[in-house]
Amino acid sequence: MGRDIIPLILLKEGEEGIIHSVSGGLGLIGRLASMGLTSGMRVKVVRNVGGPLIVTTNGTRIAIGRGQAQKIVVRRLTDGTGKAEPA
Amino acid sequence: MADRDLLVALAGQPNVGKSTVFNILTGLSQHVGNWPGKTVEKKEGYYISGATRIKIVDLPGSYSLTAYSEEERIARNFIINERPDVIVLIANGSAIERSLYLLAEFLLLKAPIIVALNMMDVAEQQGIRIDIDLLEKYLGIPVIPMVASKNQGIKALVSAILSLSEGKKEYMPSIADISEDHRDIFMELADILEKYITPPYLTRWTITKIMEGDPDITEKMSQTVPPDSWSKVQALLLRHEDSLFAVVRGRYDWIEGAVRSAVSEFKRGQILFTDRLDDILTRPVLGIPILLGVLALVFSLTYGLGLPLQQLLESLMNSLATWVEPLLGQSPWLRGIIVDGLIGGVGTVLTFLPVLLFFFAAMAFLEDVGYMARAAFVMDRFMHVIGLHGKSFFPICLGFGCNIPAVMGARILESGKTRLLTIFLTPFVPCTAKLAVVTLVAAAIFGKKAFIISWALVAGNILILGFSGAIVSRLFFKRQHMPFIMELPFYHKPNPRTIGMVTWKRIVAFVKKAGTIIVVFSVLLWFFSYFPGGNIEGSVLGFLGRSMEPIGRPIGLDWKMIVAVLASVTAKENSIAALGVLYGVGEVGIREILPNVMSHASALSFLVILMLFAPCVATLVVMKQEMGSWRWFLSSFIFMLLLSYVSGMAVYQFALMAGI
Repeated sequence: MGRDIIPLILLKEGEEGIIHSVSGGLGLIGRLASMGLTSGMRVKVVRNVGGPLIVTTNGTRIAIGRGQAQKIVVRRLTDGTGKAEPA
Repeated sequence: MADRDLLVALAGQPNVGKSTVFNILTGLSQHVGNWPGKTVEKKEGYYISGATRIKIVDLPGSYSLTAYSEEERIARNFIINERPDVIVLIANGSAIERSLYLLAEFLLLKAPIIVALNMMDVAEQQGIRIDIDLLEKYLGIPVIPMVASKNQGIKALVSAILSLSEGKKEYMPSIADISEDHRDIFMELADILEKYITPPYLTRWTITKIMEGDPDITEKMSQTVPPDSWSKVQALLLRHEDSLFAVVRGRYDWIEGAVRSAVSEFKRGQILFTDRLDDILTRPVLGIPILLGVLALVFSLTYGLGLPLQQLLESLMNSLATWVEPLLGQSPWLRGIIVDGLIGGVGTVLTFLPVLLFFFAAMAFLEDVGYMARAAFVMDRFMHVIGLHGKSFFPICLGFGCNIPAVMGARILESGKTRLLTIFLTPFVPCTAKLAVVTLVAAAIFGKKAFIISWALVAGNILILGFSGAIVSRLFFKRQHMPFIMELPFYHKPNPRTIGMVTWKRIVAFVKKAGTIIVVFSVLLWFFSYFPGGNIEGSVLGFLGRSMEPIGRPIGLDWKMIVAVLASVTAKENSIAALGVLYGVGEVGIREILPNVMSHASALSFLVILMLFAPCVATLVVMKQEMGSWRWFLSSFIFMLLLSYVSGMAVYQFALMAGI
């Protein structure tokens, strides 16, 4: 349960995950972190139908290109209640 | 009289209502310019409070303070070098974690900070409660709750600025530390680097930045630190590749502490308005038709309301000309410069103000309520095909009004390459003035079919924009991917003040260009179209046109039409004026005369060339300025000339073969 670690891009609309790691250049990592996308943070995928994704984290909604979303690895939260396991 | 001057910097991430606060504080005293040597806007203004004059500088919005973008670099250099008396960090009460991230960075710079916690109403609607006292206690700095859109909290903010600058308030900021497992590395780095860090740079800040991999600071230090020490630093950093994460984690731990102590969030029972709207607007199947509908509405409103006013102004200008003419006496000089040059050139450009006003207001409205970000999101996949960014959609849209604000609007793009390409493609967006010329000529020559011709020309132009973008981006940018990360702000009620300010700013930029560059060029054009012969046939322009006649033959243009195309560079409408003068008609009679002197094939070619030819000189000047490179500017100029020539020839030859 909730053990699968996958790129953000594989989360379906409405699914949530805890960010496990972010790879890529320091510029990208820093930029994502300043917007709240960094390890330990909880994200929810709102839109994922080809083209960029929309995710929400901490009450912010962020549109993010598929290339960048590939580099964010999340641990999927499987129970629908969205209760987070300790990160 | 001000006895005391204070320097206050406004900082904040995008979409926190920073410009609203700035506008309320500075009103009409604000001055908009550029940061020295940068294409980033610098806004400053004054607020007078009793005997104190507060100079307020609006720092560019940035998510963090690491030098990855021009905006971030400007913001932090300002804090480090100018040492403002107080920094006001505008934070978004409904997304407090993210706002605090930027605060953590500012606090490290040891500057006196006040947090203005804006959008408290939005936070409340979402069931977020923030205990201001507890938050102040945790952060150790003043926190002022605000609802800037309703003008609430401004007074409290001003008095907090005053008392902090007088040292009346307790100020003991808590600072985010890096996560525990990396403190030893921090100390090791400090041991090596400390003695090389000189004011205005602070030791703790500099070392944190080095751990974050900040390109500017790393570069700076690598030059001051002796090579053997520097290689030790690099070895340390290499061994601890995760230093950046340690810094980030430390900040988020600190933020979590703040949130835990002061924020309580109730289960958001109600589905947010934004959620519901986004569910419709960002779904491609619905979002794209809706976007097209919205644009159609914007254009029909703009032209429906703006065109009658434009025609009214036009007739006013004509009466002005007939009224002024007798007063100017016999001198052909004075008459030419004033009537043909100034009233004919600048006057015509200014008649477009109503159309632009409605268009820019509609755009500013869409921007303000938060729709533009969704439009950029929906369009991103298409924009990518032509090598642009979703966000490029916005300046491109502005281009339909006038290319000048579109070129300047490209500043919102972070990547320099996307910005260059967006500016490169902007002239292919038919602006109001181009459309006016095309409509007039098409109506005169093609009668009932004019609508189809105009439509085909606009559609063709947009297709060419797409193809050019695809080709240029493939050729020059290869397969460089452009990261797309964009915040989608919450939808909110339009704020008339913000919309008014944005519209005003864009209109002023347009008028300034019209008032300076176009004046000069209108007068010059008149000069060249009058001397030495005393009429246009015997003038420099006439000579130029005639000598270019051989070039015009394959594209079906006689020398008069060539002159009209050349004249369009001063301002698009001038080509009509030139046609009028050259074919010996008053502007009134142009509709009757044109069909007799232009064949259908020539007219088609003329229209195509006019659409694709170099933009007006005001746009060219702004393009050069914003591209900042002669190479790019000249290639785009030559590209347009070649493209218009080739396309004109293709259309003309095809029309001849098809017997049109």
